[in-house]
Amino acid sequence: MADWLNGVWNVLDPGVFLFLTLGVVGGGVIGALPGLTATMGIAILTPVTFWFEPTKGFAMLIGLWNSAIFAGGITAILINTPGTPASIASTFDGYPLYKQGKGGLALGINVIYSAFGGIFGTLVLMFFSFPLARFTIGFGATEYFALALFGLTMMAAVSTGSILKGLISGFTGILLSTVGIDPMLAMKRFTLGSVYLIDGVLFLPVMIGMFGLGEVLNQIFEHRPSVEAEERSQRRVNLSLGRVIPNWGEIRSSLKLTVICAAIGTVVGAIPAAGGDIASIISWGQSRKWSKHPEEYGKGSLEGLAVSTVSNNSVLGGALTTMLTLGIPGDAATAVLIGSLMMYGMQPGPKMFTEFRPFVINIILLMLLANLLFLVIGLVTAKASAKVLAVNQRTVWVSVCVLCVVGSFALNNSYFDVLLMFAAGLIGFLFRRCGYAPGPFILGLLLGGMLEANLRRALVISQGDYAIFVQRPVSCVLLIVTVLTLAWPLIKGRLFPAGGK
Amino acid sequence: MKRFLILAPALALIAGMAAAGQYPARQIAITVPAAPGGASDMTTRIFTSQMEKILNVPFLVANRPGASCSIGMEYVKNRAPDGYNLCYIPVESVMIRSLGITDISSNDFAFFGRAMTIPAALTVRKEAPWNTFDEFVAHAKANPRAIRVGNSGTGSIWHIAAAAIETATGVSLTHVPFEGGAPAVAALMGANIDAVTVSPSEVQAGVDSGEFKVLAILGEKRSGVVPEVKTAAELGYDNIKVLGWGAFAAPRNTPPEIIAVLEKAAAQAINSDEVKKFFKERGFDHSYLDAAGMTAFAKEQLAFYDEMIPKLGIAQK
Repeated sequence: MADWLNGVWNVLDPGVFLFLTLGVVGGGVIGALPGLTATMGIAILTPVTFWFEPTKGFAMLIGLWNSAIFAGGITAILINTPGTPASIASTFDGYPLYKQGKGGLALGINVIYSAFGGIFGTLVLMFFSFPLARFTIGFGATEYFALALFGLTMMAAVSTGSILKGLISGFTGILLSTVGIDPMLAMKRFTLGSVYLIDGVLFLPVMIGMFGLGEVLNQIFEHRPSVEAEERSQRRVNLSLGRVIPNWGEIRSSLKLTVICAAIGTVVGAIPAAGGDIASIISWGQSRKWSKHPEEYGKGSLEGLAVSTVSNNSVLGGALTTMLTLGIPGDAATAVLIGSLMMYGMQPGPKMFTEFRPFVINIILLMLLANLLFLVIGLVTAKASAKVLAVNQRTVWVSVCVLCVVGSFALNNSYFDVLLMFAAGLIGFLFRRCGYAPGPFILGLLLGGMLEANLRRALVISQGDYAIFVQRPVSCVLLIVTVLTLAWPLIKGRLFPAGGK
Repeated sequence: MKRFLILAPALALIAGMAAAGQYPARQIAITVPAAPGGASDMTTRIFTSQMEKILNVPFLVANRPGASCSIGMEYVKNRAPDGYNLCYIPVESVMIRSLGITDISSNDFAFFGRAMTIPAALTVRKEAPWNTFDEFVAHAKANPRAIRVGNSGTGSIWHIAAAAIETATGVSLTHVPFEGGAPAVAALMGANIDAVTVSPSEVQAGVDSGEFKVLAILGEKRSGVVPEVKTAAELGYDNIKVLGWGAFAAPRNTPPEIIAVLEKAAAQAINSDEVKKFFKERGFDHSYLDAAGMTAFAKEQLAFYDEMIPKLGIAQK
């Protein structure tokens, strides 16, 4: 207990608090800009923090990390472009909410549930770190395969309109994920002789183009000045009247699902090779199944937004669990954080909790404090940020285009990525015009690679024996759940005939 | 036009010589052909922080990752050879040509110093039945393809490390590629595979906690992370020598005067206490080589991989 009091004393040090605040503010900016990810922000700041005292340096990195994941949701809600891949699922309900003039409330939900998720994950780290890490480290290729397959079943859920068109869009994404060097034999596939396609069709530029530019092009195409004027005046009225904080009824009705999704996020975060993107997609798809109002999902459901924002932030506590207890990164950002700890002369792993116990306590407290800090900052600025876009529609379009270009270039300092983003934007536009939802496409591109690599890896490990997928308990359970998810409409039809509720 | 083409290199050379008088006169750009946060990136950033003090000009570090580092290296190769465009050159520079990824190789660059090396460490779980490298080899010989060895990707340096064991001892292993070293280590800890050949710092956490044991270091010298573990050469396998390394270079036609300035500054930077301390903490081995030494080393490495990689039965196309 004395350790903890000492830790509180350490993190409330004005210097530490200042660096934490700097991190939170910087993370907010990095997270909200599409293309700049939390991982990139941490990687770029790490050499800077090398010269600071460990607690201060880590305060900055942790502040940045937590707040960037939350801020990714802001752009997802306001311009339909996820600021970081972890916020893909936040576009499904967040953007429709904004269009309905509930932008303030959507941003409020984003910040409140992000903080809730972050604190939930950190509490798990505090109390169950060792058992959780021991469970997730057993995840192998078979389990990752099953997870990816399970994630892909969400394709139908994120199809707006025709399911068939959604599936076509999704499988196009999977097909595109096969471009590049194959994961087992290093053979080039469909690279068209270009060195830029060796690593495949990069996910981030495509995501930015599909959601950002594609949406802008579509809006320009559909634009009618009279309609816009009406919409804007309505949105302005809504915004000025709109609240930021959800009422108790809204919180209570989705309480159970948000807690479950916080748990899903933490566990997925603790799994070494799965992060916020897949966690929030799975949470969103699953809670749609369990929800009392599944028909609202994808059309502006407060609950849908809440579960996706809660799970991508709870991932952080889970990822940190695996990193601190086993020395194995739980996601890309923690991989960089390990490097930073090593620079301070600390080797993450079981000994971390005995040899550097005070520092582990500091990290946990910094995590909690970072969440509280962005909660306050986020709530105070929510209404203002929602109004930022209440300007002329043309200004919004131009700014989004600029953000898309800058974001896709900043990723790898590569012009090719910008061209890829433009191509994806055009395709996204055509998809929208023809009634194909971009969500399933992105899902296919994101999970296709994971699905293939792990299927083949599992078969290499089992020497070609397919039984490995059902012999391992976790993978078996995941596959059964996947089959049930797909078959549920049929089963429901049998159990409750005549479509009765 | 033709005449201009002939003149251009001559002009560049003259311009280069004129500039060498006061080189460096302005900001120097350096490309890291890998993503931020990794070994290449961190090494370059700590190196440039020292170089800035020595040469009194700012260094601008830009990451251009992709295609096993070839995108970043190709970018620098095509820049003016004026000493203001430098590159971090990793071991991939001697491998990507044989892997069929690109035509460029270490020959396209003028090296001015090597900073560090990272050997491969053959690591197994503590309950594994093998306690020595010889026992491991004996088991692999008796049970072909039974031992599953994780690496950081097909055609990656740690894949070659495991393949080098096969070539040198005549055993056959099952190679399991992962997306990077960390997932491979996670799979070893989760008992999904039997061994890994990755860098010592990647397995350090498991070694410290007693979960892993390192059977051999496959580099040219012992690793600072596990100094008690012998190298394969010490164990009688001279030809198992696979290591990652990081060097710094400029495009090939950079004038020798400029390379000389960079070489002198780099020697001071790489041998500074700050850089040494950083390498020790990150588990890299400080292994300085001067320009001539590094050029010879790269030639030798290129020849080694040109011969080794086509035998693996991968890539090629």
